[in-house]
Amino acid sequence: MTRRDMIRTGLLALIAAPFAALFRKRGETGTGYFWQIDPDKCVQCGKCETECILAQSAVKCVHQYASCGYCLFCSGYYQDKRIRFNTAGENMRCPTDAITRTYIEDPYFEYRIDEEKCIGCGKCVKGCLAFGNGSLFLQVKRDLCKNCNECRIAKACPADAFVRVPADHPYIYRKPPEVKS
Amino acid sequence: MTRLPVLLAAQARFPAPEFENYTLPRMSLEELASDSVLWRVLVLGVFLAVGSLCFYKWRSRKAMLAYSLAGLAVLGFLFASCPCPVGMFQNVAQGIAGGSYIQPGVLLLFALPLAVALFAGRIFCGGACPLGAVQELLHWKSVYIPRPLDRILRLIPVLLLLVFTVCALFGIGFPLCYFEPYLPVFLLDFASPFAILSAVFLILGLFVSRPFCRYVCPYGVLLRFFSMFSALKPRITAHECVNCRLCEQGCPNGAVLPPENAGTAAQHRAGSRRISMLVACIPFALAAGGLFGYLGAPVLSSFHRDIRLLNELEAGIRSEAVEAFESSETTEAELRARVVKLQNGILLASTAAGVLFGALVMAELIAEARRRKEEEIYTIDPSLCFCCGRCYAACPLERKEKHHEK
Repeated sequence: MTRRDMIRTGLLALIAAPFAALFRKRGETGTGYFWQIDPDKCVQCGKCETECILAQSAVKCVHQYASCGYCLFCSGYYQDKRIRFNTAGENMRCPTDAITRTYIEDPYFEYRIDEEKCIGCGKCVKGCLAFGNGSLFLQVKRDLCKNCNECRIAKACPADAFVRVPADHPYIYRKPPEVKS
Repeated sequence: MTRLPVLLAAQARFPAPEFENYTLPRMSLEELASDSVLWRVLVLGVFLAVGSLCFYKWRSRKAMLAYSLAGLAVLGFLFASCPCPVGMFQNVAQGIAGGSYIQPGVLLLFALPLAVALFAGRIFCGGACPLGAVQELLHWKSVYIPRPLDRILRLIPVLLLLVFTVCALFGIGFPLCYFEPYLPVFLLDFASPFAILSAVFLILGLFVSRPFCRYVCPYGVLLRFFSMFSALKPRITAHECVNCRLCEQGCPNGAVLPPENAGTAAQHRAGSRRISMLVACIPFALAAGGLFGYLGAPVLSSFHRDIRLLNELEAGIRSEAVEAFESSETTEAELRARVVKLQNGILLASTAAGVLFGALVMAELIAEARRRKEEEIYTIDPSLCFCCGRCYAACPLERKEKHHEK
């Protein structure tokens, strides 16, 4: 065995050493490497819309129907300074008209997010939180996100709301969680 | 618009209505995310094996070009480049420091190119690295970089490796991945502000061979070190070298070394004097490096989220981060305790990194001052060779043999 071989073996052992970290005991939270927004920390600053490396942000508004109040005057749907409660553009909260409203039964309405139109600005989330149940919240869509090693939004997030989640629970729901059917 | 009061906890102000003929729509969120990292490792392994064959067995520039092209297409565009082995040293550093996302895939991505470098040199840089591949293919005319300038610029990656490791250890972030200049190219997003950086590097790359690999890439420092002990050494020609110098002129990366003669006694004396002077300088270099690191620590700390937050809090700046902090449950005392611990840690690590940088600079200088082993022919320095195969194409003997084979 030459000196060169010995150095090589030593270096191989060196790069194998970090694998030992795999066996260390780890906490439940924050494991895995999928970026996700913790809706309880999110302050709807609007950075999700602008900071994502993708041309169309991978962050979208999602609706947890189970915690929705199906309000007639939804504060995620209507703007604060609305002129009338009708669907004219100046009354709407959403800048891209991504929320559709359907009549269910008196006086309840269902609100759906059109993901194609949603830009992840979080305006409706802010509105819903202010006067409603907080059933609208922002999430990083797993099918859109490139899962960059360093998420640009996470870097810019003022509330430190971006966390890493494991592959088998890639979304963080609002409480109370949705009842599975 | 007036600011709405932010209420963090979801409040059930309105109970869910009880409907008669209505079922709740399901949320359309996938319950399982597909994890592509292990796939990447597999593809990378195949690439490295094929690359070694192309470079050592077939010895062909064309094969190496095809290898880079495939690397660019598959690992660059298909796998969207990120996460790639180049940035993984940061994940490993953070994982060792107690971070949470150390995973088998991440570790393998980090270790595989280094392990291959121990046996076959920098095959990874040749084309399995999408960043290397894009620079390899978009290179037009080489501008000669004077040797001293090259040696000074080559210290930048060493410094970056140390600084970025400190950043990763203390959770400041992954600056390399944040500023990675070719990411907008792979994501085909030319509207992002980072696309300017891509343009700068791409244009520079037309004239300077592999500007990122040689003068920025911190992972390249590790690869350079590991490939020094490579078992396989590339030979420019299998025939009797006629010392025509064409390979040296053909190499844009300065990896082809000219023959070295035995040297006269006077040269030897001058050489040993130079080396002893350099050795005498080592303590000063270490001290200077340490001071540099010590003074740089506050700059590094100011990029940490918590430290910046505390500074803003104390200065009375009403930033979004301060407002978010005030509505959270953490108290200022907790934040302050965390910040003090962090600042001490960063100060220590940064000083240590500075000392290490001083040592590495001296090592580089001494290596430069030493005479190489006597050699009669043009040889390849495996630690600088990016396995592009240009020297094979430039060598007239190799060309003649290829011609005869046909």
